[in-house]
Amino acid sequence: MHFNLSEERKMLKESCDRLLNDHYTQYKNHHEVSSSETGFNKKFWQECSEIGMLSALISPNFNGLGGTGEDIMIVFELIGKHLVVEPFLSSGILSITSLINSKDIETSVLDEISSASKIYAFGHSEVDTRYDETYIKTKANYKNDAVFLTGQKSFVLNGDFADKIICTARFSGNDFDQNGFGLYEIDKTHCDIRSYNTIDGYRAAELKFSEIPAKELCKNSDAYNALLETLYAGAFALSAESIGAMQVCFNMTLEYLKTREQFGKPIGSFQALQHRMVDVMIEIEQAKSAVMLAAGTYEADKDTKYKNISAAKNLVGRSGKLVAEECIQLHGGIAMTWEYNLHNYAKRLIMIDHLMGDSDHHLEKFKLYSNY
Amino acid sequence: MDFNFTQNENDFRQEIKDWLSENLSQRISNKVKKFQRLDKNDYEEFMKALSAKGWLAVNWPKEHGGTGWSNTQKHIFEEEIVKAGAPRIVPFGLNMLGPVLMEFGNEEQKKYYLPRILNCDDWWAQGYSEPGSGSDLASLKTKAVDNGDHYIVNGQKTWTTLGQFANKIFCLVKTDSNCKPQNGISFLLIDIDSHGIEVRPIITLDGEHEVNEVWLKDVKVPKENLLGEENKGWTYAKYLLTHERTGIAGVPNSKSAINHLKVIANKTYKNGIPLIQDPLFSSQIAELEIDLKAMEIFNLRAISSAESGKAPVMESSLLKIKGSIIRQKTSDLLRKAIGPQALPYISEQFDEGWNQETIGPEYAGPLAKQYFIYRKISIYGGSNEIQKNIVAKSEFRM
Repeated sequence: MHFNLSEERKMLKESCDRLLNDHYTQYKNHHEVSSSETGFNKKFWQECSEIGMLSALISPNFNGLGGTGEDIMIVFELIGKHLVVEPFLSSGILSITSLINSKDIETSVLDEISSASKIYAFGHSEVDTRYDETYIKTKANYKNDAVFLTGQKSFVLNGDFADKIICTARFSGNDFDQNGFGLYEIDKTHCDIRSYNTIDGYRAAELKFSEIPAKELCKNSDAYNALLETLYAGAFALSAESIGAMQVCFNMTLEYLKTREQFGKPIGSFQALQHRMVDVMIEIEQAKSAVMLAAGTYEADKDTKYKNISAAKNLVGRSGKLVAEECIQLHGGIAMTWEYNLHNYAKRLIMIDHLMGDSDHHLEKFKLYSNY
Repeated sequence: MDFNFTQNENDFRQEIKDWLSENLSQRISNKVKKFQRLDKNDYEEFMKALSAKGWLAVNWPKEHGGTGWSNTQKHIFEEEIVKAGAPRIVPFGLNMLGPVLMEFGNEEQKKYYLPRILNCDDWWAQGYSEPGSGSDLASLKTKAVDNGDHYIVNGQKTWTTLGQFANKIFCLVKTDSNCKPQNGISFLLIDIDSHGIEVRPIITLDGEHEVNEVWLKDVKVPKENLLGEENKGWTYAKYLLTHERTGIAGVPNSKSAINHLKVIANKTYKNGIPLIQDPLFSSQIAELEIDLKAMEIFNLRAISSAESGKAPVMESSLLKIKGSIIRQKTSDLLRKAIGPQALPYISEQFDEGWNQETIGPEYAGPLAKQYFIYRKISIYGGSNEIQKNIVAKSEFRM
């Protein structure tokens, strides 16, 4: 048993971290980037692809260089650390996972993603379906050999700028059935798009479409399995991202406690604040441990994999909230300003709990997979 | 990263299991599982069996008769003895005094005391806390005055766990009052049979006798019973804090307690359905289980970094805090799980051989009592607040 990264992964981590350290800050004024036309920095996205940060999310079976739980953890922890708004989740983990779990997928499609020449987005949620896995109201209509979709997909990350959108749609059964839906690829040019920034600085879109042509990727139990894999891959990646963001919040707060003076001494000398910092520290270590376990069992049987991802997502939901709230409180007034960078991290931590299932959702799933 | 134990470690676990199934008596493990009172013989029977096998001094190096096990092996051993329902290995001689003796004791002391600990000839008690010195241990008042070839000791020690069974006690005593408190403390090894010592029981809130007060009145302690140097006792007491604390989170105990909780929640019904399926209650269990699993990995991370030679001082404090919270929450849920069955308090139920009918299921009897006594976990061994001070001092550098 050991918890160290292999030499190869250490190198991956170092080279990605270096790129983000050296280049990302110069591109980043968080809200400026996300308010731009594309919602992220295309040139930087290209650079990420060039150093293999996208290939790291894809298994060698599909021409990638990684794709294991450990690889995803490393990349997303760094994304959290640097608050990267580029489409690592949408065009990265979600699209990649749904594609490789579809039938007869060509490796060239994944090459297009990893080379950053195509952007994909993933649309499953609808405006009122919360985190339900199979609550799908968008309709798929098969006519002869073709299929046409009608409906609406919500909160589609990078849905406005993506070349292709992978979405779920139902062709039979009631709204909650595990059968009777499929994964389809649609073209955004056919959609009515309303794009907006999210509160944590990402770009998302509402897509509306009526009887638009679609390409079937998989359906029925294949679609169900692919969807679960995708949602859990997303939940796992976000859990790892949360760890990176929590660590930054902690470091910023510690630094501030040492420098900010009140009553003639650094506020960090006050025991009430020190003890709260230790509580934050404990919960970060706990969350880190849960994410490491989920990473270590990412290739295990599905029940174990999903159970540990749900545990991790539940825990980062709880601890992310604690870290965000405590770090704001420990800073005091300065943390309430737009100017001071902490709020960007705090917002991301809280919004991670609004993506791919919140802590309550994953507590229920944990119970399910633990046979309660 | 690799979360699997090696084949050797798995074989090791099996060896421990096999040995326990043959050498831990059913009588004792039944008592432990029913939370019945253990007497001195119960503890000693198990410890002597371990000693004969060479597995008693888990934390000692081989040269002193210890196992020389790795941290991972110790962890596996600890897990298995808890699972099997063994009594705790009384730690005062083995884990507290032993390492201090090895590091700071003179040759004669090592030669005399270490084998006696190993053979269970001596039962040591710990004489640290005093009525006026809990978290602020250095303020202790028990005084040892130099009187030629011996000291005269006067004072009072408290919270002396299982002191009623002990024949020896190691004490922190004041030998110099004209300096910073930490610099005037010495470490004495004292016979409890000495004239002037009285051990009085303290009955804790659960009605049990586990801890004691030890009164020392004009006790003569020969100078050869001084450990290390005079006025260096604080260093020796602190030495332990950097050693062998990876078990501090109590992961095996919490694991077996949560398993117990789930068994009970399966047998208990609310509105006609098992409590384990009640959304409110089962969510509380599930959160706890998630926290515990994360802490288990955190603990293994600390063990693995200790394996590579880094003393996990900060981790030990964090684990002690989180471990106590999880154990207390588990006992809280156990109490809640049984509803009004928690009310009856029948003290005789916890005596060996009691065979009357219980009120409600047998498992209900000890749960409320346990909930109350487990409040101690966040208080003893350096309260959670003290642990936070330690972490803040060492990690935040403020």
